[in-house]
Amino acid sequence: MHTLYSRVNNVSAMVSTCLMVLLGAISLSSLLFTADPKGTLSISSIQVFPGNARRYSNKNQDFTFVNFNLTADLTPLFNWNTKQLFLYVSAEYENKQGVRNEVVIWDRIVRRKEDAGLSVAGRNKYVFRDVSASFKDAPPAHYTLKYNIMPYVGVLTYGEAARTVDPVPFPERQDLS
Amino acid sequence: MGDVLQRYLEGKIDFEGQKLVEQITRNTLIAATVVSFVVGYAAQSLRVLFGVFALFVILLSAAVIPPWPAYRRHPVKWLPVKDTKTE
Repeated sequence: MHTLYSRVNNVSAMVSTCLMVLLGAISLSSLLFTADPKGTLSISSIQVFPGNARRYSNKNQDFTFVNFNLTADLTPLFNWNTKQLFLYVSAEYENKQGVRNEVVIWDRIVRRKEDAGLSVAGRNKYVFRDVSASFKDAPPAHYTLKYNIMPYVGVLTYGEAARTVDPVPFPERQDLS
Repeated sequence: MGDVLQRYLEGKIDFEGQKLVEQITRNTLIAATVVSFVVGYAAQSLRVLFGVFALFVILLSAAVIPPWPAYRRHPVKWLPVKDTKTE
């Protein structure tokens, strides 16, 4: 502490300790915010068509096309430590082999609180197909809207904001003429 | 000239001053941590939190790092030089 440089050293060392304490306190403060907003998700139309994927072009498989309506007000999830929200709609079903599947069919990143009031009439952004190449005899699927809160400091937290009331059955495959 | 420059760059302070500087640094930074967290939480803004904290750090640096006269009020009193030749 006797020279200028040792004082600079001493102050900056203490500052970095205090910053670490602050960051820890901020990440712990996220636990105080326990908002659990709920919205609604309904499937307006669902169709299954045969087709060829671009990658395995000689393999015939089923593609499901889902149109859904989504309303949810997720503004309570934005607190001082929320950087952005990652939202995704996924289909949950067990296929013929009894394997539990979860397929993400749509997603969105919400960066601002003003954009967190959702009212979306959407369709699947990502190809919805099964590993077994067919949705025949697959039991009805639940569709859910899930969120992932990305904080500035701290841990990612997951949650579910909406779920279809009843499971939606896969329709019969329609053949293209 | 070189001596003067070196004295300014070193910025030496006395022992009492060092003790004082240490206390001021510790107390101010602990207070800064608590105050900035409370203010930031009240404003629900991380920007406010780190702004308040940075303000504290700048003020503290200005108060503590330069060798202000307040830290040089107790210079060490050395014993007089013994004249070894006359013995």
